[in-house]
Amino acid sequence: MSLLTLDNVTIRFGGLTAVDTLNLGVKQGEILALIGPNGAGKSTVFNLITGIYKPTEGAISFDGKPLSGITTHKIADMGITRTFQTIRLFSELSVLDNVKIGAHSRGKAGLFQSFMRLPSMKREETELEEKSIKALEFLDLAAKREEMAKNLSYGEQRRLEIARALVSKPKILLLDEPAAGMNPQEKVVLMEMIRRIRDTGITIFLVEHDMKLVMNISERIAVLDYGKKIAEGTPLEVRSNKAVIEAYLGSGQFKSRIRR
Amino acid sequence: MKKLLSNWITQALLFLIVLGLTAYVSQIINNITPPYVLTICLFIGINLIMALGLNLITGVTGQLSIGHAAFMSIGAYASAIATVNYHIPFLLGIFIGGLIASLVAIIIGFPTLRLTGDYLAIATLGFAEIVRVVFTNLKITNGAVGFLGIEGATTFPIVMTIAVLTIFAMVWLENSRNGRAMLAIREDEVASSAVGINTTLYKIQAFAIGSFCAGVGGALFAHTTTFIQPTDFGFLKSVDILSIVVLGGLGSIPGTIIGAIVLTAAPEVLRPLSNYRMMVYGILLIVIMIFRPYGLMGGVNLRQAVRRAIMWPKKKQTGRGE
Repeated sequence: MSLLTLDNVTIRFGGLTAVDTLNLGVKQGEILALIGPNGAGKSTVFNLITGIYKPTEGAISFDGKPLSGITTHKIADMGITRTFQTIRLFSELSVLDNVKIGAHSRGKAGLFQSFMRLPSMKREETELEEKSIKALEFLDLAAKREEMAKNLSYGEQRRLEIARALVSKPKILLLDEPAAGMNPQEKVVLMEMIRRIRDTGITIFLVEHDMKLVMNISERIAVLDYGKKIAEGTPLEVRSNKAVIEAYLGSGQFKSRIRR
Repeated sequence: MKKLLSNWITQALLFLIVLGLTAYVSQIINNITPPYVLTICLFIGINLIMALGLNLITGVTGQLSIGHAAFMSIGAYASAIATVNYHIPFLLGIFIGGLIASLVAIIIGFPTLRLTGDYLAIATLGFAEIVRVVFTNLKITNGAVGFLGIEGATTFPIVMTIAVLTIFAMVWLENSRNGRAMLAIREDEVASSAVGINTTLYKIQAFAIGSFCAGVGGALFAHTTTFIQPTDFGFLKSVDILSIVVLGGLGSIPGTIIGAIVLTAAPEVLRPLSNYRMMVYGILLIVIMIFRPYGLMGGVNLRQAVRRAIMWPKKKQTGRGE
């Protein structure tokens, strides 16, 4: 039984079909990668899942519940969190505040509590602080907690985005090109982190361009080209899939890089 | 849990003591200050209350509103009608003024807060004009002639106590789950909704609370001047409040306090310049914005600055030891 199911999902922007009758299931506890050439519709798939776009046709369901007509913030409540291809942090706020905001959906305090500052709210704040620091420690950012988010290095900002998405204990984490702009060492550390996140029971669904990383950590790979799924399987199967080589890997130069 | 409860009781007591002290000290000031200076101080307080409200909307939540005077006028007229026509006590009248202003904010917030940036600014500007025209044509507000015979019940201690209460409320709000959500919306709306923040809800909350402050400020204003007319609450009034927030530093509560003091006092301090007064006032604004483009307190984290100032000598000592 899939945790997240995309059933014949299609979205058209005017004349352009960005995602075309896509069928995809993400299984509980796996690391699934979605790859494809630039403009294949990968990020659009994430925007469809998180409710930023509504599919023109087809349906998406999560944990057996349909996601159609549910707003983005409620989808986050249900346990789907994400990072963005272009980093979207709360840049003028501290690292710790960024993570605290990430746990927003797990908090209860409302307006009344913020004005009364009752003990129950204080306790919630203390718990939140502990939880946030734990998430920062997990991503090796605890030392930077007082820093403003915009002052972090690029790799740190990417990790902070992951920490912010993790602190609410989601069921599935969508990573949109997490390795973009990272240097080789940072990529190795990132791979290790993604595995560790999965080991805590969180399903990982990632879009990535870095083939080395994708082949290394994913258990299954789906390939998208012009909005259509052209292949799905283990890294080994995808690597030797003819359609993939033709459509995605194209020239022999690219192929040899993958085979290495 | 027990410790938390006793902490809460201590804090609540401290808060009440501070509030009582404010009332007491401002009562003393009230008795010894000449009326002219006292009136300026009174308007500083009123402007501060309204500016803190706008700071929540524009500085914290990032929704540019240039129609704040509309909510001020709603509060002013609502409280004036309440106290004059229905003989409701003054303090309750202030509350009614704030409440009606925030109700109107909720009603117009739903359609307008879908807009962002410049578009929202234009929408709020349009709304403010509509409110002004409505008040000019209503019978109950006595139209363009103006509303007469309001009791001059606003006193300096009342204004100061409400101002301090507003400062406390804003600081508490900013350091809570709701306040963080509002800050997140200012920083990035898409990312906010992706972490589960209902952006519409928090924008409307900020709008309603900010407008409540404007309504309270308007009510205090009406009961100070004892006479109000729709032209008191024009576009320039909105700009005045917005300049306090921008000059102080968007999103900064200490900045808003300084901004309210500087911008309310400046035209009075500059009075000896007679004809050149407003020109010098304008130059002052430009100079401040050139030297402090993010406002007087913009980008200053007061808590961190204080902590650093305290830590500094200690750091130096350990440095020598090494």
